[in-house]
Amino acid sequence: MKKTVVKAEKVCYTYDDGTQALKGIDLEIKQGEKIAIMGANGSGKSTFFLHLNGVMKPKSGVIYIDENPIDYSRKGLLEVRKKVGIVFQDPDNQLFSANVTQEISFGVLNLGFTEEEAKAKVEQVIEELNITEFKDKPTHFLSGGQKKRVAIADILVMNPEVIILDEPASALDPKHARMIDGIVDQLSEKGITVILSTHDVERALIWADRVILFHDGCVVGQGSPDEVFSNEELLARTNLEKPTVLRIFDRLCEVGILNRELPIPHKAEELEQYIIQSR
Amino acid sequence: MMIIDKLAYSSQLRYKSPFLKSAFAVGTLLICVAARSFVVSGIVLILMGCLTVFYSRTSLSHYIKLMTAPFAFLALGTIAIAVNYTSAPMDLISIPVGSHYLAVSVTSLTYAIRLIVVSIASISCLYFLTLTTPLLDLLAVLRRMHCPWIIIELMMLIYRYIFVLLDMALAITTAQNCRLGNRDAKTAIQAMGLMLSVLLVRALNKSSLLFDAMESRCYDGEIRVLNESNPSSIKEKTGVILFLVALLVVSVVCKSNGGI
Repeated sequence: MKKTVVKAEKVCYTYDDGTQALKGIDLEIKQGEKIAIMGANGSGKSTFFLHLNGVMKPKSGVIYIDENPIDYSRKGLLEVRKKVGIVFQDPDNQLFSANVTQEISFGVLNLGFTEEEAKAKVEQVIEELNITEFKDKPTHFLSGGQKKRVAIADILVMNPEVIILDEPASALDPKHARMIDGIVDQLSEKGITVILSTHDVERALIWADRVILFHDGCVVGQGSPDEVFSNEELLARTNLEKPTVLRIFDRLCEVGILNRELPIPHKAEELEQYIIQSR
Repeated sequence: MMIIDKLAYSSQLRYKSPFLKSAFAVGTLLICVAARSFVVSGIVLILMGCLTVFYSRTSLSHYIKLMTAPFAFLALGTIAIAVNYTSAPMDLISIPVGSHYLAVSVTSLTYAIRLIVVSIASISCLYFLTLTTPLLDLLAVLRRMHCPWIIIELMMLIYRYIFVLLDMALAITTAQNCRLGNRDAKTAIQAMGLMLSVLLVRALNKSSLLFDAMESRCYDGEIRVLNESNPSSIKEKTGVILFLVALLVVSVVCKSNGGI
């Protein structure tokens, strides 16, 4: 049984202007899980993420990291932020330095590593995420995809147990989006728990172990992609569309071309295979 | 500003030690200002001009264009020094104004010209530094010189966010232009006002988001980052020292020959 790395218990948060952003979130995330969090803009995903490493404090409810409730003292927060890292949606809100090496080194040096140790770690991450080719460029000359990679390196270098990525592929062209997908897979392979918010149902179907649906500050549904994406009522409620692969599969089963007994296809290639074999 | 920044990054001297470049530029600047000599200023201007144009991939015409901006200020500023308002006429030009004269003497004119030449030469030293050294490298120099960290951190953040806000301002202006926001003077002023107010709100918003992002990386009030700089070789160091000593000797000689 894997340990629970993140647990939220009846977490509520209201902004100063009275907007209720979170209305009692209950969640449990196990070590190494690949979690896709989906939901409309403004459904509370980003606010919830900021709660997971203590940047925001719930008005009521408790968040447990590694089975311990977050301790909001200086030392406690340092401990939590070392374990849970957030890659923000817009790199321009995260990258504060015009120099890539300086930018990446910020987090590690804050963890108290010496300059030498930090340097070694920064170099390793630069290598790992293929940043070498543009590491001497100032951040304002980098492309969106390059900035995103630096933003991920910022967090990865701190060696967290959980990495949260807030819509990592938004505003990227397909090539760079696939590159970021590759990096996300790389993170999972290293055993890091990845929590990712996305609007891309096809991607969530292929990648996630579990899909969690946010709606209006509540978790309205969760489960394996197969379960969640076959629940039409839930999808309608959260303004999501069923992945094309599933839609075609369902229709083909309905008209009798494919057999419902088949395992649910996740990728277009799998569905293709089914169709070819059925002829 | 953008162009200067781009040039600094593509300069061939970019990876030379910022300490060496600063010592060279500032040392030359100090000698040039202290000497107040036509000869020394001439040497400095020509040398710095050549080095900058040659190494920073600036074209000569562009360099001259960069120089004209401060030159205009200097020319205006020194008029007041060259022209005197006196009760007696002077040797070069005298224009009676009421009971007094607006007059220029040979001494005051020489003084003004000397001031312009020395200033232009000094500016060439600073241009050399800014066109070959990215700002962040200069910050490393300031840090080594024990400049207060708050100033360095502010410079670092301001430098980064100039570009972010500039992008935003351009995007807003383009969007306004697309909807004919700048079709005449009145709408242009209105559009500018709107753009600036939106920019302020977004800048404040961005600063709070940035703070959240820094907090998530354990920010505790002090920005600690790795500083890498390439050390200078003994050869380069000796070169710079020899040059500065030679320039010093030239200025002493000039001084003793009546300050030419």
